Amino acid sequence: MKSKNYNKVFNILKRKYFRYIELDPVIESKFILQRSGENFKKYLFSFYNSDGQELSLRPDLTISSVIRYAQSKSNKKEKVFYTGSAFRKSYNQKNVVIRQIGMEIFSSKNENIDDKEIIDTSLKILKSSRYRNSKLNIGNFKLFELLINKLQIPQRWKQRLIKFFWNEKYFSELLKRLESNLDIDPVAVAGDKKMYSKMIKLNQKKIINGRSYKEIIKRFESKINDPRQSETGKKSAKIIKEFLKIKCSLNNAPNILNKFFKKYDLNIFVNKDFFPIKNLKIKDTKFEFSTSIGRGREVEFYNSLIFSLDVKKKNKFVNLISGGRFDELTSKYLGLKKVPAVGAAVNLSNYE
Amino acid sequence: MNKDNINIGIVSKGRLKNFTENLLRKRKLKIFSERGERYLFGKIKGKSNIRVLFLHAREIIEQLSIGNLDIGISGYDLLKESEINIQKKINLVKRLPFGYANLVLAVREENIDLFTTLDLDEVADEFRKKNKTLVRIGTKYPNLTRSFLYERGVTNFQIVKSLGATELMPVIGTAEFISDITSSGQTLKANKLRVLNDGEILKSQACIFTSKINHKKKGLKNLVKLLSK
Repeated sequence: MKSKNYNKVFNILKRKYFRYIELDPVIESKFILQRSGENFKKYLFSFYNSDGQELSLRPDLTISSVIRYAQSKSNKKEKVFYTGSAFRKSYNQKNVVIRQIGMEIFSSKNENIDDKEIIDTSLKILKSSRYRNSKLNIGNFKLFELLINKLQIPQRWKQRLIKFFWNEKYFSELLKRLESNLDIDPVAVAGDKKMYSKMIKLNQKKIINGRSYKEIIKRFESKINDPRQSETGKKSAKIIKEFLKIKCSLNNAPNILNKFFKKYDLNIFVNKDFFPIKNLKIKDTKFEFSTSIGRGREVEFYNSLIFSLDVKKKNKFVNLISGGRFDELTSKYLGLKKVPAVGAAVNLSNYE
Repeated sequence: MNKDNINIGIVSKGRLKNFTENLLRKRKLKIFSERGERYLFGKIKGKSNIRVLFLHAREIIEQLSIGNLDIGISGYDLLKESEINIQKKINLVKRLPFGYANLVLAVREENIDLFTTLDLDEVADEFRKKNKTLVRIGTKYPNLTRSFLYERGVTNFQIVKSLGATELMPVIGTAEFISDITSSGQTLKANKLRVLNDGEILKSQACIFTSKINHKKKGLKNLVKLLSK
């Protein structure tokens, strides 16, 4: 029965010219550690082989598939799908093993067309399932980046807010700092200025813990010369909080967003290209937009489109398919060549 | 070892040992050793069922978790650093008014641009881009340091475990930054290190702990009550 169900998904993917690939069950731990430093380590089932190389059971199928593509010499567009389990310690006490069917488009040349294809395929898979009531929730990380870059706050604060968007808990901590305290502690700075005067007279090439005096002094000067004003911090935090509350039907999203940007005079205009979907009339499916979709989940590698297709199971909405665009996963997080990519994963425990 | 004996673990040397012996003396529990001061096994005058074991502070936590000790006086930091399965088997009975110390994140004083963990995070990112490797944080407290940094969103780092003289690690180049326990801050200062403004990881002090394994031993409840008076 189960395999028959999977076959339905497989057939849809094959008809859309996705090619089946096998993924290695283990990956070199260094790829995960490069991606998230220590962050992901706590989830890994790791072990050493006889050569002392640290290996891990794959904690995520997308990572395995994109490593496979990035290590190949190909630059051609590739549409692939795969199935298998991902293994994570304490990811969720019930789900140490996550079973998925994943689909990806690598070296995607036309972002909009490929994003649309992933969404369309996801909707076809939904149709093949036994669920009737569903909702497709779409967001776009680029909107948040656009907003932050228009705010009157120092560049380092822009980078911090963009970096920690996905980490909901820490992000609200950052907003508190942004709206209240000043960046710089005047007492500490007075002490540091003495050291600064001393250091500036010494050899600027001298290295302290991997950083030259020149680098340290440059960063110190930029902090002192570009302090954040508490008023602009407060205003920016208010705008961000209000932005992150925006939730509406997908149809109304461009209007509501444009009104919001106009209200704060941010000079940003949103058109329907941000949402790669045309047919918003599917029976029993709601199409929604949210600026906060994906926050609190471990999806920090999404850099643009992000979506979640949820179905009503026993009077509760559960996730059936989720995905998004991750153009920077390989280059920024894994230290490999850049691979523009978009994909999605079917959560098999909710498909059956 | 007689299984009805009550075993108390106390720290074998240093200030914590002196404070603990004082505490016991005040409760009229006089420790004596049959083979002199260097013998790591003591008894309590007039209480033949109580044994005192002089151990390393970390060892006290371990031995409490497996039930070899019934009572232990050690640092709160060491309990919190231990694995969760160890912590689950130990009760914290009382915080004592000595052994105060803070676990803190420290950097070399030349790092004048590093005020907070936010700066640390940015510098760690830049470090990774420039050196193609992660910044190293030396510590005897990898678990506490990791979770403190995760909570503040710092993930681009690797822990280098220290076995002693952690303050030296940034000087000799085995780590870029450190987290270490400090009571007055003098040792850090002497080694040209300074604490980040929001770098306090944990406030610690000496505590009375009991093992959850043999909590029904005869006389144990009364002894714990006496010690925590």
